[in-house]
Amino acid sequence: MGEFGNNGLQDPAYMAQRIAACEREIQKGIIGQREIIRQVMLAMLTGGNVLLEGMPGLGKTRLVSTISKVFDLSFKRIQFTPDLMPSDVTGTNIIIKNEQGNAFSFERGPIFANLILADEINRATPKTQSALLEAMQEHTVTVGNDSHALTEPFFVLATQNPIENEGTYPLPEAQLDRFMFKILVRFPSKEELKGIVTLTEGSQEPDIIKQMDSAGLLAARALINQIPIADAVMDYLLEIVMQTHSANPYIKEGASPRAAQALIRASRAKAFLEGRFNVSFQDVKETAFPVLRHRILLSFDAVSEGVNEDNVIQKILEGTKQ
Amino acid sequence: MSQKAFIKIIQSYCFRLNVAQFIKKAVFVLYIGAGVGILLQAIAFIIPFYYAGGCTIIILILVLLTAVVLAFIKRKNMEQTALVMDRFGFEERIVTAYGNLEKEGALVELQRTDAMNQLQLQRDKIRIAILPSWKLIVGLAGLFAILIVLALMPSAMKERARELHHIREAAREKTEEIEEILEALEELSQEQDLTVAQQAALQEMAESLQASQEELQQASSMEMMKAASQKLEYRYEHTGNTLATLAESLRNGATVSSVTAESMQALSEKLRGMHEAELAQGTAGQPGNQNGTGQNGQPGNQNGTGQNGQSGDQNGAGQGGQSAEGGTNGSNGQGDLNNGSGIGRGTGTSSTPHDYVSIPNEIAESENLTGNAVNHDASEYFYAQNGLSWEGTHMSHEAVIGSYEQNAYEGIAAGKYPSGMEEIIKAYFSNFN
Repeated sequence: MGEFGNNGLQDPAYMAQRIAACEREIQKGIIGQREIIRQVMLAMLTGGNVLLEGMPGLGKTRLVSTISKVFDLSFKRIQFTPDLMPSDVTGTNIIIKNEQGNAFSFERGPIFANLILADEINRATPKTQSALLEAMQEHTVTVGNDSHALTEPFFVLATQNPIENEGTYPLPEAQLDRFMFKILVRFPSKEELKGIVTLTEGSQEPDIIKQMDSAGLLAARALINQIPIADAVMDYLLEIVMQTHSANPYIKEGASPRAAQALIRASRAKAFLEGRFNVSFQDVKETAFPVLRHRILLSFDAVSEGVNEDNVIQKILEGTKQ
Repeated sequence: MSQKAFIKIIQSYCFRLNVAQFIKKAVFVLYIGAGVGILLQAIAFIIPFYYAGGCTIIILILVLLTAVVLAFIKRKNMEQTALVMDRFGFEERIVTAYGNLEKEGALVELQRTDAMNQLQLQRDKIRIAILPSWKLIVGLAGLFAILIVLALMPSAMKERARELHHIREAAREKTEEIEEILEALEELSQEQDLTVAQQAALQEMAESLQASQEELQQASSMEMMKAASQKLEYRYEHTGNTLATLAESLRNGATVSSVTAESMQALSEKLRGMHEAELAQGTAGQPGNQNGTGQNGQPGNQNGTGQNGQSGDQNGAGQGGQSAEGGTNGSNGQGDLNNGSGIGRGTGTSSTPHDYVSIPNEIAESENLTGNAVNHDASEYFYAQNGLSWEGTHMSHEAVIGSYEQNAYEGIAAGKYPSGMEEIIKAYFSNFN
């Protein structure tokens, strides 16, 4: 068990305080992007994987490394390139010589860490991308006939560049569905940019202090799973997911049941982060965007009319009665 | 806060919410009801609509009942109330706590405690207004004021509607009465031993009464109603007499059972009774409307064809008639008890049954009117139509002449005619007497 002790980990109020402290600590290393930090925190508290989409240089890698420090998690970065092989990610069996002679031994790949930054994931081939599938969903890696459990907690934070399409392999729907959130990292405001420049170009880097360990994170996740949801809120949440399957000229394919699960977990985590022990309609509304935007396949009409996923989700939210 | 207190608070808001909902719906439906009521009252100013007031009241009651039913169907339960309460900044704490009242668990209990604490701290935030906005209430009061004013405002059309209503009511009563008689006649006509002529007579009676039924149903004015009633009254009497004659002949015959004869006699008496009742009603109900014609067996009817039934004096050649009622007595009558030669005029009555004839356009020259006024002949037209003649469409010669004569004498008195013509006019009318 971690340094906070058993009693503290069982105390929801205390855990809520610790998590709030973690959020504040992350904000010390990342200027602005509060919403991004909040959403990444939500994903971590519910054990979800995150797809960060944004231009290079917006602090995605810095965000992940700061989180790893705050939560005291092992962190590995994998730069995805077209020639990256699955074994480069998962690891491979190698022949080693020992006292008994030659034998195969599994050499762990970079995926064996708590926090994986899959940088520019869409530059790798689908074969390599799919190497992540099992790890993301089952938290195991199978090489040969052996399955190897990954260290808990395990998170994948993948990034992709929305502009450069040449030489990229868009993620297939099945893989996209395994990301709990798709977070759009937008360009910072002038004020935020000033803060970033001051922070990064200064002589002194901010001192990021560990606020919680992996045990604390797992305990928080267990607590969050117990947060009650009122029937009315649950109905509202499910109705939103169902609405993505109703007749909508802008939707070609709606969200999967996994979207509903993700929405429930994210809403609970958001309530917990805000110091509440129940899920509100507002929690559902706010988490619907990162949960649903990569799970909705837009129709040709939407693309031709310049309607994006967020517009469609906004319409659904407006049309769903609480 | 205890769990019991928590539930009690939600209950109190639930009641308040449902009352507010009922009032809101009631105001809404009353707007509709008042609008429809105003429309009905406005229609009553344009067309005769006797039931405008009644319909308005029924609509208002119906819309209120609708509001009650709607409010009952859409009433909020405790969970819905908790949701409404949550809208006042409780972020679904109350509904979650209420939904998990029976559940156990550290986090559930923590949530419940949090919800109760928040409710205790911020209860004054919950504001559920029972009454709708004052603008809505004032608007509704305004509509009702208009409705009441329209309902109470008199108009000729409303008077007409009232008159029509009374006519229809009276017509309905009489129609039902006729219906009974028709049924009785129908039963009598089923008697197989009746002769063809007797059955035809019964058939004629039935048709005659059916004609009255139609006339009553079509009556749209007091005049038409009066005329139809008079016809009916006559038909009652005539049918009664005919039935009595038939009954008498049946009694004398051997083929028909005495029961049928008795039935006929009974119906005959009933009809006569109805005739008398009609007469009494007509006399009592329509004083002064007979224009002095004294039909309906008023005084003077006993004198048969003798118009001027009571001469000015016993020996003179008095002309003055005696008005039956409301008529003008021979005001100009002159003469004394012994040798009067009065020229009194009046609208003397001498009607007997079948004593009316059509208003003559061409005296004694119409193909349907062959009677002679001077000779006091009866009209063939009258007989041809089974004696169906009555005031309004048919008048006695005496009444017509009396009316002309009266006008003429008034013209003389007013100096309307050239000198020298007065005597000629007087002589002309004297010839009729």
